[in-house]
Amino acid sequence: MKFLVTVMEFRIALARPRLLALNVMVPVVLVLAISLGGAPEFHAAAVYTVLFTIFGTFGSAIPLVRDAEAGLFGRIIRAGVPPSHFFIERAVGGSAIDALQLLPALTIATLGSISLNGWIRAVLVLWSSIWIANLLGNLVAAAARSLAETALFSAVTTLFLLHLSGVFRTPLPQSSWAVIEAFSPFRALHETLLTGPDGTSTEFPLGLVVWVLILPVVTVLLARSVTRSLQLASDG
Amino acid sequence: MDSGLISLIKVSGLHYRYASSPPVLIDIDLEVSAGEIVALLGPNGAGKSTLLRILLNELTPESGTIAGPLLSMKSSRVLMGYAGEETAHFNSLTGIQNAHFFARAAGVEKYEVSEMVSGLMNLVGLSNEADKVVSSYSFGAKRKLLLLEALVHQPKLLLLDEPTVGLDPVSRDALADILRKCSQEGSAIVMASHDLNFLEQLADRILVIDKGRVVSSGSQIELLSSLGTATRFQVSVDTSSIELPQYFGEDIELVDDSGPLVFETTRGQDALPEIWAALISARVKILGVEVREPGLAELFRRVTGQELPG
Repeated sequence: MKFLVTVMEFRIALARPRLLALNVMVPVVLVLAISLGGAPEFHAAAVYTVLFTIFGTFGSAIPLVRDAEAGLFGRIIRAGVPPSHFFIERAVGGSAIDALQLLPALTIATLGSISLNGWIRAVLVLWSSIWIANLLGNLVAAAARSLAETALFSAVTTLFLLHLSGVFRTPLPQSSWAVIEAFSPFRALHETLLTGPDGTSTEFPLGLVVWVLILPVVTVLLARSVTRSLQLASDG
Repeated sequence: MDSGLISLIKVSGLHYRYASSPPVLIDIDLEVSAGEIVALLGPNGAGKSTLLRILLNELTPESGTIAGPLLSMKSSRVLMGYAGEETAHFNSLTGIQNAHFFARAAGVEKYEVSEMVSGLMNLVGLSNEADKVVSSYSFGAKRKLLLLEALVHQPKLLLLDEPTVGLDPVSRDALADILRKCSQEGSAIVMASHDLNFLEQLADRILVIDKGRVVSSGSQIELLSSLGTATRFQVSVDTSSIELPQYFGEDIELVDDSGPLVFETTRGQDALPEIWAALISARVKILGVEVREPGLAELFRRVTGQELPG
């Protein structure tokens, strides 16, 4: 793997300073508004989790469909980048850029409530969650035939996984939902952002680790199908 | 085809259709050899671009075979190059950044990429714009960059769809020179184009495709000799005033008077004043004259019964 696509992702991000600034400022403003507005901790954590994960899926799926429609995706694959390399490299670059852009917002969301070690853990959990969201964005893009469908499918998929991760429910430790939650991708991020007086959870993030490892494998296995689907989209 | 050439790819009995649509390609046979320039000539929708995408292995034919050493060659570089009609690039990056990306993606090594890209930038006339972002490029500059990216890894088979669209005459000539050089170095080129002058300048072999079928094929010399060497004049006249003379001049023959009058001569355009004078003296009211020299446009017209666009 030459990581050409990853390098291009960084170059593109740096070549658009206005968009870069907006991607940093908009989450900061939203997080500031919520944290200064005195929202209850559980609700605030839910909103932050939704914001961060949707940032990842939308940010991955929408540019991919736009590039496929314009013919750029087809050109990159035709030029010789293997589809599996393309999707993985893209997620490596995209998740790193997204995590860096969300770092100020994450810092504000956890400010004063966690230790330095807790903050480092929170950054790693954020990055891992966005890695998952980026890979999901690639897969969601394959099912969409327009930018509107891409936005819809990204939102539905992410919200469903957030629901499974227990973001929208009061946790019930003894229920069967607890098992599903344990294996869901965004539970760790939600718990990290539940910044109570005891700080963030130190529990092993099983669901996150499983998804971080399995989703790249799924992406590699589906890469050719996703490519065909995206090329069909570009053919109209 | 010259039997001394090394065949790179051979297509036999190829059929293709999109989903449940009528067939786009019917029973296509095509063999392309190293160093050969093959032109696909046909009206819009004839199936030329589809054939190129099948050669690229982007579309799977319904039936037929594609074989040849190109498909089994081992190389650190991508063996085919393709420039289609789109101009999609990383618009927020510079031309040189785009070119480097596509060169590296196609297998050009890091140490040689700068030299190869800047050499081609000079040849296609993009060196002054190399460091500008692609979003500021004109359509023509984007097309040049696209062609550069298809050529930069020196592919064994170069597939070009309408390569001269958006190019000014100087760039068009530069492209012709580059393609000639590629061919001399052993690359095969298959191109679909409506630019007949460009095809006449370069093509070793021409396939005329109409409604998905190859309706005529051969070398330019073979195809053009089948037309004869006669120049044709098509003269539109006011039919109410028709009373045609019997003689129009030496070696001038009236071959069709069922609609517009069609004259044929081997004397070229020099014969036109005599035809004109004969018609005027017979008080025939002339509405218009069209000169048809033997060439690809005339070949296409005769084979398909259609005019080429543009």
